[in-house]
Amino acid sequence: MPSDLDKFVQIEQLLRCEPISEEQVKRLCIKAREILIEEANVQVVDSPVTVRREICGDIHGQFWDMMELFKVGGPCPETNYLFMGDFVDRGFYSVETFLLLLALKVRYPERMTLIRGNHESRQITQVYGFYDECQRKYGSSNVWRWCCEVFDYLALGAIIDGRVFCVHGGLSPSLQGIDQIRTIDRKQEVPHDGAMCDLLWSDPDDIVGWGLSPRGAGYLFGGDIVKMFAHRNGIDLIARAHQLAMEGYKLMFDKTIVTVWSAPNYCYRCGNVASILELDEHLAQEYKVFSHAPSDVRSIPAKRPPADYFL
Amino acid sequence: MFPPRPRVPEGDAAIRATDNDAALARLSAVRRGYLTDPFITPLVPRAHLEPSRPPLINIGTYVRSEALDELVNGWLALSAQEGAKCQIVSMGAGSDTRFWRIATGPSRDNLARYIEIDFPEITTKKAMAIRKSKDLSAVLGKPEDVSLANGGTALHSPVYHLLAADLRLPPAESLAPLLTTGPEPLLSPSLPTLLLFECVLVYMSPAASGSLLQWFTDYFSSQSSSPTSSPSVLGCIVYEMFALGDQFGKVMVNNLKARNVSLPGAEPYPTFESLPNRFLKHGWEVAKALTLKDIRREYISQAELERISQLEMLDEIEELELVLAHYAITWGVKLPSNADGLKAQWREWSIKRKATS
Repeated sequence: MPSDLDKFVQIEQLLRCEPISEEQVKRLCIKAREILIEEANVQVVDSPVTVRREICGDIHGQFWDMMELFKVGGPCPETNYLFMGDFVDRGFYSVETFLLLLALKVRYPERMTLIRGNHESRQITQVYGFYDECQRKYGSSNVWRWCCEVFDYLALGAIIDGRVFCVHGGLSPSLQGIDQIRTIDRKQEVPHDGAMCDLLWSDPDDIVGWGLSPRGAGYLFGGDIVKMFAHRNGIDLIARAHQLAMEGYKLMFDKTIVTVWSAPNYCYRCGNVASILELDEHLAQEYKVFSHAPSDVRSIPAKRPPADYFL
Repeated sequence: MFPPRPRVPEGDAAIRATDNDAALARLSAVRRGYLTDPFITPLVPRAHLEPSRPPLINIGTYVRSEALDELVNGWLALSAQEGAKCQIVSMGAGSDTRFWRIATGPSRDNLARYIEIDFPEITTKKAMAIRKSKDLSAVLGKPEDVSLANGGTALHSPVYHLLAADLRLPPAESLAPLLTTGPEPLLSPSLPTLLLFECVLVYMSPAASGSLLQWFTDYFSSQSSSPTSSPSVLGCIVYEMFALGDQFGKVMVNNLKARNVSLPGAEPYPTFESLPNRFLKHGWEVAKALTLKDIRREYISQAELERISQLEMLDEIEELELVLAHYAITWGVKLPSNADGLKAQWREWSIKRKATS
C-alpha cells in the first residue's frame, strides 16, 4: 500500500465506527473527487472472474447493519462491491457509513463502485437527517458540504460485463439507450426533473408504459418499458434499489428487473430483512439475505429516542 | 462504565407521555401546513422550541385527523337531522383541540355537551393551559360561567367539561360518579352521544376496555333510562394500532417497550377483519373499520393529496404504507330499541370514498 494513501484513508478507524477529524474528511473528499471525476456516468465494471462480486442496495446510515452485510459478502477488497446509492439519511450513522465507503473507494478504486442515490443530494439530506447529523457530530456544516461535493461526482449507473445495468431508481422516458446517459452533465445537484432525476427517482410498477410517481419526482414504468430497454441495450437484468423490499429483494417482469434492498429493519422500525445480490462469472444470481445487527447499544445510540410512531 | 441511558418515564407516566407525542405531532403537521388548527399552540408548552416531525409522521397525522374530523362532523350532521343536540365524550383526550374547533365551526350549535376525561396529571395541565390562554378560554363562554373544580383537576363550563379519572378502573367507580349520578347527570342517555378513543384503549387490558364500552352500552339501553325519555343513539370511534403479530408489529412492540409503553389492547385485533368485533361483541348494530393506508389512498380527495404532496418531499411510499397499514379507525353505532322512530340515517354514518386507486 503506497504510504501517501494512508493519509486519506482511515479505514481501520472507520471500521470501528469512530469519527475521523474534519481535516481528514476534507482530504478524503478531495482525493475521492479526483478518482470519481475520471469515472463515466455509467461506470463499466468488468471484474476478474475469480473475484466475488456483490451488488448492494440502500444502506441509509445503518452502519452496524452494513457490517453484517460485509460479513455476508466478505471483506473488501477480497470481494468486489457495487453500492447503488442511498448511503446516507434516516439511520444514526450516515457520516461513518459514507466515509467508510468513500475510504474503501479511495483505497481500492477498482474493487468498490459507488453510484448516486436520490438521497445523495443537498435538498434531501437537509430533510432526512444527514445534514443534522453532520452538524451534531462536527459542530458545523463543513463535512456535509464536502460530502455533497463528492455526491455531485458519483456515477449515475454502472454496467457489469455489458449485461447487467445498475441504477439507483430506474428508467426515464427521456432515455432510450444507455449511451444517452453518457451525454448527461452529471456534476451538479440532483435536478427536480429530467433524465438524471428520473434515473435516481423512478420505480417499476404493474402498469403499461409510463405513470406519474407518487414520490413527486421521477416516473413509474411498466414491464413493457423494461423489456424494451433490455432488448435495445442488449442487457439481461436491471438491478436497482430505492424501494423497501420486506424480503430483501423483489424480482419483477419475468426477472428482467430486481430491487435489491440492503437496510435490514429499515429505520429501526420496518422489521424487514435485507439482501445483497451475488453474481458469478456467468452472471448467475444469488440473493444473500441477512438480518439486522444484534440490537445492543451499538445499533441505536443511547441518547437517541426509539423510532417514531403515532401514539 | 456504561454511558448514561436516557431517562425513560415508567408505568403510567410512560403512557401519559404519549399524549405529549401526539400533541407535538399535531403541532408539527399544523406548522408544516398539513392541518389548520389555531388551538394547538397554547396547549404545547414552549411550542416555538419544538422541532418538526418527519414527513411520514406529518402525513399520518394529517390522514388520521382528516378522517376523524369527517366522522365527527358526520355525527354532528346526523344529530342535526335527528333534531337533537349531541354529546361527545372524548376519553384519554390529552391535549386534543377538537372541542375548540367544533365550538368555533359551523356545527357549534349542534353540541349539547363536550366532555373530556383523562389522568388527573393531564387534566390539571390542560385546565391551567386553558386558563392561561385567552384564545382557549374565550371559546368556553363568559368568565363567570367557567370554573375549576376538584383541586384544579377538573374544569366546567356551559358546554365543555374536563374531568379526571383512571379509565382502567371499573366504570361504576370511576365514570358513574362523574357522568351519570345525581338528579341531573352530566351525560344524558336521551341525546345522540359519540364516544372518542384516540390511541387510548390500546394501552389498557382488553377486559378493562370491554367493561368501559359495556358500561356505556348499558347506560344507553332502555332499562336505565327514565320512563319519560327513551335512550338515544350511541356511537363510538376508536383510532389505534392493530395487527402487531407481523414483523413490523413485533418491532413496534419492542421499540415501545424501550419507552416503557406496552400495548395489551392490541391483542384481540390481529387482523383487519377482527376490528369490528370491538363493537359487535357488545351487540351494536353497525361496526366498520378502515386502515390509515386505505384512507390515504381512497378517502382523501385528489386535490388534497396533491396539495399535501407539495408541502414536503416524501421519499418512501413503501415505508409510509407499511406504517399506515398498522393503524385503523374503527367506528360503530348502537341503535336504540325503538330505532324505527329515528329520522336520520345513522346506519350510513361513514367516511366517504373520494377516489379509486
